[in-house]
Amino acid sequence: MKGLVETLRATLADIRNALRARSNEWILKRQGTDDSSVLLHRRRIYILPTRAGLLFATVALMLLIGSLNYANNMGFALTFLLTAVGLVAMHHCHGNLAGLRISFKQAKPVFAGDKAQFEFILDNNDALSRSQISAGLERTVLVCGDIRAENRAIFTLPLVTSRRGWIACPRIELSTTYPLGLFRAWASVHMDLPALVYPRPMDRLQTILRTSSEQGLSGFSLSGEDEFSGLREYRSGDSLRNIAWKSAASLGILLVKEYKEGGQMPLWIDWNQLAYPDTESRLSAMCRLVIDADNEQQIYGLRLPGVAVSPAKGHSHLHHCLRELAMFAPTKPSRS
Amino acid sequence: MDKLPPLHEPDAQDKRTRILWLLTVVLFVSLPHLLHVNIWITLLLLGVGAWRYALEYRNWGMPSAWIKVPLVFAALAAVGFTYRSITGVEAGTALLLVMLALKILETKTGRDLTVVSAICWFLMFAAFLREQQLWAIPYILFGVSLSVAALIQISRVGAVLPSRQVITKTAGLIIQALPIMLVLFFLFPRIPAPFWAMSTGGYSAQTGLSDQMSPGDISSLSLSDSVAFRVRFNGAIPPASERYWRGPVMTYFNGREWSWADRGEPIVSVEDLLVGGTYYEYELMLEPHGREWLLALETPVQWSQGKAYLSANLQLISQTPVQQRIAYTARSYQLARKQVPDVERHIQAMRYLPTGRNPETLAFALKLRNESSSDKDYLNRVLDMFRQQDFYYTLRPPRLGNNPVDEFLFTSRRGFCEHYASAFATLARAANIPARVVTGYLGGEVNPINNDLIVRQSDAHAWAEVWIDGNWLRADPTAAVAPQRVELGLDEALSDRDFDFRRNMRNTQLFHQAILSLDAVNAAWNRWVLAFGPEMQSDLLRNAGFDKPDMRDLVLLMAISLSLLMAALTYYLRFSIRSNKDPLLQIYETFCKKLAASGVTRHRSEGPASFAARASRLRQTDRPQIELITQMYIRLRYESVGSAAPTEELRQLTELVKAFEPTSG
Repeated sequence: MKGLVETLRATLADIRNALRARSNEWILKRQGTDDSSVLLHRRRIYILPTRAGLLFATVALMLLIGSLNYANNMGFALTFLLTAVGLVAMHHCHGNLAGLRISFKQAKPVFAGDKAQFEFILDNNDALSRSQISAGLERTVLVCGDIRAENRAIFTLPLVTSRRGWIACPRIELSTTYPLGLFRAWASVHMDLPALVYPRPMDRLQTILRTSSEQGLSGFSLSGEDEFSGLREYRSGDSLRNIAWKSAASLGILLVKEYKEGGQMPLWIDWNQLAYPDTESRLSAMCRLVIDADNEQQIYGLRLPGVAVSPAKGHSHLHHCLRELAMFAPTKPSRS
Repeated sequence: MDKLPPLHEPDAQDKRTRILWLLTVVLFVSLPHLLHVNIWITLLLLGVGAWRYALEYRNWGMPSAWIKVPLVFAALAAVGFTYRSITGVEAGTALLLVMLALKILETKTGRDLTVVSAICWFLMFAAFLREQQLWAIPYILFGVSLSVAALIQISRVGAVLPSRQVITKTAGLIIQALPIMLVLFFLFPRIPAPFWAMSTGGYSAQTGLSDQMSPGDISSLSLSDSVAFRVRFNGAIPPASERYWRGPVMTYFNGREWSWADRGEPIVSVEDLLVGGTYYEYELMLEPHGREWLLALETPVQWSQGKAYLSANLQLISQTPVQQRIAYTARSYQLARKQVPDVERHIQAMRYLPTGRNPETLAFALKLRNESSSDKDYLNRVLDMFRQQDFYYTLRPPRLGNNPVDEFLFTSRRGFCEHYASAFATLARAANIPARVVTGYLGGEVNPINNDLIVRQSDAHAWAEVWIDGNWLRADPTAAVAPQRVELGLDEALSDRDFDFRRNMRNTQLFHQAILSLDAVNAAWNRWVLAFGPEMQSDLLRNAGFDKPDMRDLVLLMAISLSLLMAALTYYLRFSIRSNKDPLLQIYETFCKKLAASGVTRHRSEGPASFAARASRLRQTDRPQIELITQMYIRLRYESVGSAAPTEELRQLTELVKAFEPTSG
């Protein structure tokens, strides 16, 4: 019995998902791919009753039959008021979404395994405040909130990343069930938004152990010879080694010790000097070295098969290097 | 700038607010039921509600299945035990209330809350099966509003709305829904009901006429002021002493109890009636009483109620029980007799008295008949006896034993109309004169506000009819004892001892005036709102210019009206709220227009920065202005925090755009 119910439920879910996939395909075909800023025109808003809406309709139908059977005029009044409220709510639900403008703001690069953060702006240029606007990727609702009249709202849609390279933003769905939860209006937005995913920096200790110590890593120091220059706040990618744990414990924020540059020799982070069997591990290790070198204000360069970034330092240099690592595609089989 | 925050679990305060709104709905919609259902159901519902609310405050856990499942069975069994049924309006309502209580007990998710509000709508409907008084309108409006407000709160993701905003939003939705509701109410095709007969019950407890009469069993007649029916006369209203409203005619007597031989009575065709005297035409609106008889002034010869016939006892009978308030017009003649005499068998049955019962009465009747010259003389002597001897009219007669007529005539001598009618008919039959008891109403009160005659349950009356010289004659022995009862109504006939309080209340002018005003409103309510059905709907269409309105016209008219309303609503939602645009956007659009006029048009998908770059390339001379304006615009647009751009910078930008004159390409 229980098994049967489960099977039935699974079948229904399958059917529902298939229908959803079909309708999404149809919507994409109908609307085409969108620009990075889209006005949600009324024609782009779809609306269907929710589960609660179906229950509501069923109750209204039963009340109608009851009223007809007993010729009960107050029953009719009740039934028709409920029906009318449902119809009005449907219009409000639709109107709550129509006329909004969604614009892509940015997607900052992330390391593989972190969540890519797609940032958007919703413009509400009307004198009507928008309530309960939900946004999400595919069918998952991720954020939900209100936008005041003639105002704008920012929201971020996180997307799990697993591997380096370009990751495309999936279908964005804006939806609302406001005001009564009886209907769900939604709009599909298909923006061609790639976000860059850097390789995941390898665990620090592992990197060191697998790195050949003689060659090219002369600037890379474990000894702490560098002169201590001060503390600054922790940034993602900072070496754990440099965290001032004592200060962190007393202040409640992570602080990182900064050192003046040690040796002036440019550090070459070289593909060929890393002893890893596969490309991804090698890139991951290089990513770690790049981050550490940047943290320690080293001057460093990057060598990949077919690509070289000449030594420099600073924020844009760091991202230049990381970008090369993220986009690196071995033209020939790796030598490992 | 607002922020759409990530989804999070609603906090305890939000959950509490939601439950509170829902419990308010539950309490409000169950109000009309709480006094009607068995007390344990009321207590269960209130108890569960209070407990559920406390649970939200105390952070107690929800009850486990070990408590809930036995509770469900216990509650269902208790309903079955209390009402001896689980169908019908009373038991059904009780069942809904119990289900509601149990659902509240386990309500956790938004879906549970929605189910609770759905049960609430059924409960509101159930209230109208019991009665549809004027209070139904505020009850519907508030009940639906409250559940809409609760739905707004329940369906919210995250924090609930402040109460003021909920009320504003709810009021908006309801006000916009009302025109749609009215269109549906008046134009949705009505069909003759019921198509699925189901007893609504609920009338059993009402006082009123019955199909049997046993005066010896009643020691105190309670008077109900509830309305039995209302009458609007076409023309003059007959005097009080002529207003005999004929109901069930009792022909069978077992010595103690008179009873109505319902069905099986022959039908009389109105063509066989010989009528004379004054006639009255009227419209009668009968409150439902759950039985087959219709009330009519003696003697009805025309009536508009289709499924009704006149029995051999000249009683108007409906083929189906009166389950709803019905209205019919009728014409009654003061005098009416059948051209074809009643068959002897029919008459003979009305001479029957059970042997061995009321022996003193029988002996007295024989003696008196022998002293009389004729049947008529004998009956007049009987009436004289009531008039002259020590008989009293009272609503609190003593209980009578096995020979109730004997005891009444020779011992107690106190009683009300039923006692007198019963004794009179018994005495007539004892002298071999065919006789029957007619029950119905006598009199009624004219409401000066709308000239309606209001006949209440307290106007119920019983009188006798005797067969003299081939004709049935009315004899009202109560009139002999208490003539005021017939001329002026019940209140005047009662001795002071009987109902002091009642008389005082009724005689307070202001109170009485209020009662009559209320009744006028109720009558209008019944006439115009509750009686609205297929016939009135056809009339409505006919008045609107349709020659032969049918269902297709109705549906068409309804569809057109609804479409118009929907279009109006869409228009309202779309344009009334679009006020002034964002001033910043307006300035920027002016800038773009100026450039477009010079030959550089911004593409729909082009962002401000890329457009500026392109425009600068094409209009090298204007490059500084283009870049400055665009930079300012971008900064104001994308970097300013708060709802509006800083006014000073906005002013500067306006100036810049105003002064901007691009060279033509």
